[in-house]
Order: sequence, then structure tokens, then C-alpha cells
Amino acid sequence: MARMKFYCDAERCIECNACVTACKNEHEVPWGVNRRRVVTIKDGQPGERSISVACMHCSDAPCQAVCPVDCFTTTADGIVIHNKDTCIGCGYCFYACPFGAPQFPSDGAFSGRGKMDKCTFCAGGPEEADNSPAEFKKYGRNRIAEGKLPLCAEMCSTKALLAGDANTIADIYRKRVVNRAASALISGSNLQKTSFQPTLVPPELEGKASATE
Amino acid sequence: MKKMEENPPQSPFFKGGGCAELRKPDRSHSLAPLLCKRRGWGRIFFLLLLCLLLFAPGGRAEEQAVAPPLPPVNVPSPGVDLWNEIRGREGTAADMGQVRTQVQGVDTGVLINTGGQEWREYRMQTLIPNAAMALGFVALAIVVFRLVRGRIPIKAGRSTHKIKRFSKLQRYVHWTTAALFVTLAITGIFILFGRYIVIPLFGPEIGGPLVYGLKRIHDFAGPLFAIALVLLVIFFMKGNMPKLLDLKWIAKGGGLFGGKHASSECYNAGEKGWYWIAAIAGAFVVVSGFVLDFPNFEQGRNFMTFYHWIHSIGAVVMMSVAMGHIYMGTIAMEGAFEAMATGYCDANWAKEHHDLWYEEVKDKAVPADSIEQASDPGVDSGKQKVV
Ligand code: SF4
Ligand code: SF4
Repeated sequence: MARMKFYCDAERCIECNACVTACKNEHEVPWGVNRRRVVTIKDGQPGERSISVACMHCSDAPCQAVCPVDCFTTTADGIVIHNKDTCIGCGYCFYACPFGAPQFPSDGAFSGRGKMDKCTFCAGGPEEADNSPAEFKKYGRNRIAEGKLPLCAEMCSTKALLAGDANTIADIYRKRVVNRAASALISGSNLQKTSFQPTLVPPELEGKASATE
Repeated sequence: MKKMEENPPQSPFFKGGGCAELRKPDRSHSLAPLLCKRRGWGRIFFLLLLCLLLFAPGGRAEEQAVAPPLPPVNVPSPGVDLWNEIRGREGTAADMGQVRTQVQGVDTGVLINTGGQEWREYRMQTLIPNAAMALGFVALAIVVFRLVRGRIPIKAGRSTHKIKRFSKLQRYVHWTTAALFVTLAITGIFILFGRYIVIPLFGPEIGGPLVYGLKRIHDFAGPLFAIALVLLVIFFMKGNMPKLLDLKWIAKGGGLFGGKHASSECYNAGEKGWYWIAAIAGAFVVVSGFVLDFPNFEQGRNFMTFYHWIHSIGAVVMMSVAMGHIYMGTIAMEGAFEAMATGYCDANWAKEHHDLWYEEVKDKAVPADSIEQASDPGVDSGKQKVV
């Protein structure tokens, strides 16, 4: 069994918000709800970074722990699925979630929030037949049932956003980190302070090895 | 020089000598130089080392003896600043409000909200077990009190006369508040313990909509309760001011435990205590309830969870005390329920429980028959409960 994961590579994200738009379009999510959002840190300053965030499908999900009607399930693939028929719209999952993933179609007076809506990892809902109109209306498209990965990551132009099996994602990211760390080392720079610039091996490092006599 | 040749081929990046944390410690790697420098002696030495390895508790010390540790090279972790900022730690960009997002909404600029975990721990590990214990303890105390003390009768029997104790307005306000309070308490308990009671009992298909309905009642009954509570506090203010006499009453345990009779005026210290708990805890519960009930003012998560702490603690305090009040006012004591049901209390009951007040108002006592005729069916059913 795979363990599904999202990973956003802050060194690559260019804050184009395409993942946000693609998700909204693919799932026709309710007005006012954004299952994914891009947050920019140090906007307009040196070291600016952007990260795309949605439900991270936690292993020990806080939303699942606090829900008064216990309406979350975790699939065998580690996807946290939410049941809109059971949900009472209390907002507790929104309080507990570290990533602000749970959203509500309205924030009306008298706590009339409507049913919670969050990223499904493009895996639809718990009960209805895969990709039935009822499922689509409530949870959006079920791409996992079609053998496809989440759209936001699939269409990310810089491949900053990765989605899929944890091991594969970790492998891809590990390779990126190794290459970047070495590059930062060579240029003597901090990745946070400068942008990433691949350089050739400087001459003073020629012929040097990590072990000494 | 030979050492280099023996080493496995490496990425050019690894020649830097500083990426110690990236390089996995490799034993054959560190032993290789020895093997090639002095062929004959080296082999014997290698065998010795192997023996050492077999018998030594850990191979690490030996490895260091062969290749001394690399001098540390300061490579800042690329993620440190970024993650500090994401967590909104003090002095970081996120802390200074330099986080932007194109998605508008409540708290959308917060990437990681650490307050959520605190609230999760509070709700799941502190609130739910302690609330269950508090309510269970009060229920148990009532049962024990009942078994030990039994029903409290009017010792002198019923008198022929009754005394007016509550005005019609007072009774309406009391019962409106009481009905709303019980509604809110029951619906609140379902929201608090729903996943332990409703879902296992009814399943998610029925349990979900059931709790949804109860929550909606809670949402609307709350603001009504706020109005009722304000009226209640106003209409029962007279006579509920604490006095020195109340301390004496408390010292005597209210005369509840077979001790000497404790004098009291219109309201005894127990009733006054309940009045003030209802007023003060009620004010906390009402104000925090408004914060939770109206998310349309775009208050943030941590703001709302803070008021949830107040709301839940206040509500548990009120529910625990209310259980005692409901018991005392209904089945515990002969003659208590009818006072709030009809507005009149038995003259002997007044003499036994509110002696100082009885002295004040005994002249206004009216014959019992004249009231009973005017009583409505609701009062009768109330009486049956009492008898
Ligand atoms: S909604 Fe939040 S708490 Fe729940 S699984 Fe997703 S990220 Fe985790
Ligand atoms: S809003 Fe729905 S999913 Fe979230 S905690 Fe409340 S009932 Fe559970």
C-alpha cells in the first residue's frame, strides 16, 4: 500500500496560484472555499518564499480527533476522507487543523457554516459510488479512482508541488536537497539569502576529498 | 594518493570536505587506506581490527581511531529561517505580519497554526474526561444524599395557609430561562460527548443529522438564553444580596445534614450561591457563546478556541450546580416545587426553611383553598411529581 503525501518545495514554488485555480475548477468547490492556497513569506523581500498548502492528510489527524461526530476516515493509502452527510458544521476541525485546511461554504450568523469542505486528495467521498453525480456534487472529482494523482500537483509547472507515494516523493526531494546543499556549500551561500544559482566546482575544491591523511 | 584511487567514485560535489552530514559513515571506506599503504602488516593489522570489532561493544571508537573526525564546516540548514518564519516565531517575518496570500478568508495567511494542537489536547484530554467526571460526581453525590438523607418533609405537616413567594413575572422568567438552560445543556452535552454516545448508538447516518439538529437548536437557543438570563438576574436581584447571615447558614451546613436549624431570609445562602453562579458563570458562557455563535465577524481560530475554553468550563460549572438546584427544587424537598410552580408556598414550609422571611410576611398568608381552585393543570402535574 502506498502512503499518499503532498510536498511543496519552497525553493521552486513561484506563487502562480495555478494549483489553487486548477483545484477549484476540477472539483467545482463551493463559492468562497479554497481547498488549496499559496502563502508567501517575506513578500517582496530578499529570501521570499511561497508554499502551496492544502490538507496534508495527517497520520494522526487533529481534525479527526476533535470531530464531535467522528466523521473522518483514513483510507488504506493514508488519505483523510471527510463525510459531509454526518458533518454538523461545528468548525472544530477548523480550530484544530494546523494548516487551516477545513473550510466552510458560509460563515453565517448563528453558526450556520454549512458542511465542512476540505481537500480530498482528489479521492472523493466515503460512501457514494466513485464519480457518481452525488459524489461529484459533494466532494468533487475522484481522480484516485481513475488511477490519477491530484491535479494540483500533476499540473504544477515548476514541479514544486509533489503528490503521490511518500517513498517516491521523498526520493525526488532528497535528490533535490542533496544537489542544492552541495551547490550552496560551493558558493558559500545560504539558500535563504540568495536565490539558487548552480555554479561549477570552484578551483580551490579541485582534488580535495572528504577524508584526510 | 593511492587512497584516492581506492575510494569509490563520488559526485564532484562531495569533494568539498564539508558535507559531513550528507556523507553516510562507511566502514570499508575508512579502512581502505590502511590496507593499501602497508600490504603485509596492514593485513595482519586489519585482522586484528576485525577481532576487535567482533569483541568490542561498538565499532565506532575504532573507526575514529583510524580516521580522525572531520573538522566541522558551518553549513546553515537551508530550511531554518524559512520554518521559523512559517511557525510565526518571534522576530520573524511571519511574526511581523509579512505573510501574503491571494486567498481571502479567515486566517488564510497562517501556514501552521500551533494553537490548534493545544486546543485539541484541551478538548480531548482535559475537557471531555473532566466534564464527564464533574457531572458524574454531582449525580453520584445526589444519589448518595438521597439515600442518606431521604426526602426532606415539612416537619409540622401542611398548614392551611399559603404565602405568596414569587410573582407571575418571576415565574415566567424563571421557567423560560430554565427551559432554555436545559435545552442548551442537553444539546451541548451531545456536542461534547457525541462521538462517544450518539455515533456508537445510532451510527453516522442517523447520529450525524441528529447531532446536526441539536447543534442548530443550541445555536438559536443560546441568544434567547442570553436575554432570559439578563431578565432572570434583574428579577431575582432583590433578596439575593449576600449578607453576614449567609455565613452562619453555611457554617451550619444549611441545616441539611441533621444539624441545628439554619435561619435564613427570603433566600438562603445556597439559593443565593446558585443565583450568583448563574449570573457570573452565565455571563461568561453567554459572552463566549456569542463569539462562537457568530463566526461571521471573521474572528480567528485562536480567538475562538480561547472563548471555547471559557464557554466549556463555564457551562460545566453551571450544569453541575444546576443538577443540585433541580434536585433540591423538585423531588428532594416537600413543598419546594410548588413555590415556583404556583407562586405560593406552604406557610409551614416557609417557617421551617425561611424563618426570618416568614416572620416578615406571615400576615399576608392566604387560605390554601382559595389558591388551589385557581391552579392550572401544569401545576397539578408538577405536584404529582413532588408527592
Ligand atoms: S484537515 Fe488538517 S488536520 Fe485534518 S488531515 Fe487535513 S491537514 Fe490534517
Ligand atoms: S465541522 Fe464537521 S467535520 Fe469538522 S469537526 Fe465539525 S462535524 Fe466534524
